[in-house]
Amino acid sequence: MKTPSRLFLMFLFLLGMIVVLLLADTLIVRIKSTPVRKEPKFYADILALLKAGDSVEKISAQNGWLKIRTDGGVIGWVHSGALEEKKFKLSAFDKSLKTQASASEVALAGKGFNKNVEESYRKKNPTINFAYVDKMLEIKIPPGKIEEFLRTGKLGEFGGTK
Amino acid sequence: MNRIKGTKIAVIFLGLLLSSCSVLEQGADILAGKGKVSRSDVDAVVKTGTALRKTFSDITEEEEYYIGRSVAALILSHYDVYENEVLINYVNTIGTSISYFSDRPETYGGYHFMILDTEEVNAISAPGGLIFITKGLLSRCTNEEMLAAVLSHEIAHVTKKHGLRAIKNSRLIEAFGIIGEQAVQRFGSAELQKLTTIFEGVLGDVVETLIEKGYDRKYEYEADVLAIEFAVNTGYSPLGIKDFLETMVSESSSVADKGWFKTHPSAADRIERVEKQIKALPDLPKVEQIRSDRFNQQIKSLR
Repeated sequence: MKTPSRLFLMFLFLLGMIVVLLLADTLIVRIKSTPVRKEPKFYADILALLKAGDSVEKISAQNGWLKIRTDGGVIGWVHSGALEEKKFKLSAFDKSLKTQASASEVALAGKGFNKNVEESYRKKNPTINFAYVDKMLEIKIPPGKIEEFLRTGKLGEFGGTK
Repeated sequence: MNRIKGTKIAVIFLGLLLSSCSVLEQGADILAGKGKVSRSDVDAVVKTGTALRKTFSDITEEEEYYIGRSVAALILSHYDVYENEVLINYVNTIGTSISYFSDRPETYGGYHFMILDTEEVNAISAPGGLIFITKGLLSRCTNEEMLAAVLSHEIAHVTKKHGLRAIKNSRLIEAFGIIGEQAVQRFGSAELQKLTTIFEGVLGDVVETLIEKGYDRKYEYEADVLAIEFAVNTGYSPLGIKDFLETMVSESSSVADKGWFKTHPSAADRIERVEKQIKALPDLPKVEQIRSDRFNQQIKSLR
């Protein structure tokens, strides 16, 4: 009986390891959109744009940044705050999908306080003006401008005297 | 014999392993929006996920964004926007830079800043990163460090989700219940109406806290602590916050019962706390003249 029980344990171990490995390297984008950057800093050149729900493969990590590969094969850096791990917990013994979805995954399934709820709220409250909110959300300072602002102001990595 | 039995067991487990991987992929595809997915599969994922949601901390990034948008719309129904492109751009550049050095640089819709056209002194942050400062507050800042300190404080309210903490938990429990109901991939009209009513209550809770009641004092103190951290991380002198609070102490009583003064703990009390924190810092960035010069240049259009 010695041999089968060893094999049994070995396969159990392998099963666990493979499931863990499959989960560990896949991340999903949890925010509306985020750029894939050439270097691990916010004002680095942008290589591609990811949007909520996109999957990426993690390659490595460095100071809050993750080096990733997109579905389209682009390799670059995304801040870890924009990504989250998938949180599936699975039952291997039946075909039903038993998962423990993360909060963002719930949102990705199209539920919660979302666009539909906002539209319904706006119909009910037509005097509330969203025009400036939309304008505000359009304000984006380009990465190059931020870098220049930090450099000339002796801020961030260009920090001056202490 | 034993070897054959062992091999059989191994084959069975290999089968189970492969079937579990296929279920895994099925789940991954559902949430990545790929492949053919039945409504019941999506509902199963959502129901299980939603059943775990209990408090403000379970509000998703996307939900926070939509709450923040409507809170911002309500703030903008109290105040007019000060349309000064130069200053809006300057405030957004400082704010965005600080957000990069905060403990939450990425939010669903990002950080955006707007100036309100009022002499009232105030700064308000809607959940998710929509931040407002008034012309009255801007005119009381005398250098970039002070403005950076105010923006850092508001960013801290966003990173710690202080606005979402104002929402009554009973509203969230009710909302999470409706969201989790089976067989509702898209809301039916009855569910949508119920959720909209709860949403209105949620907005009321947040706006009342931001404009009338103010945050709990402990959140204001926490935002001060973080404001110093974020400012220093960015390279700003932490004295900006102290200088700003000192200006507020000496403010005339004509505005002392409005806006910022109504919703914030006393400036004198806060000065004491920030002084202690600043003293304990080992290495402080200094106020750079070049930053004060560019501040004076930008602020000209205000005066």
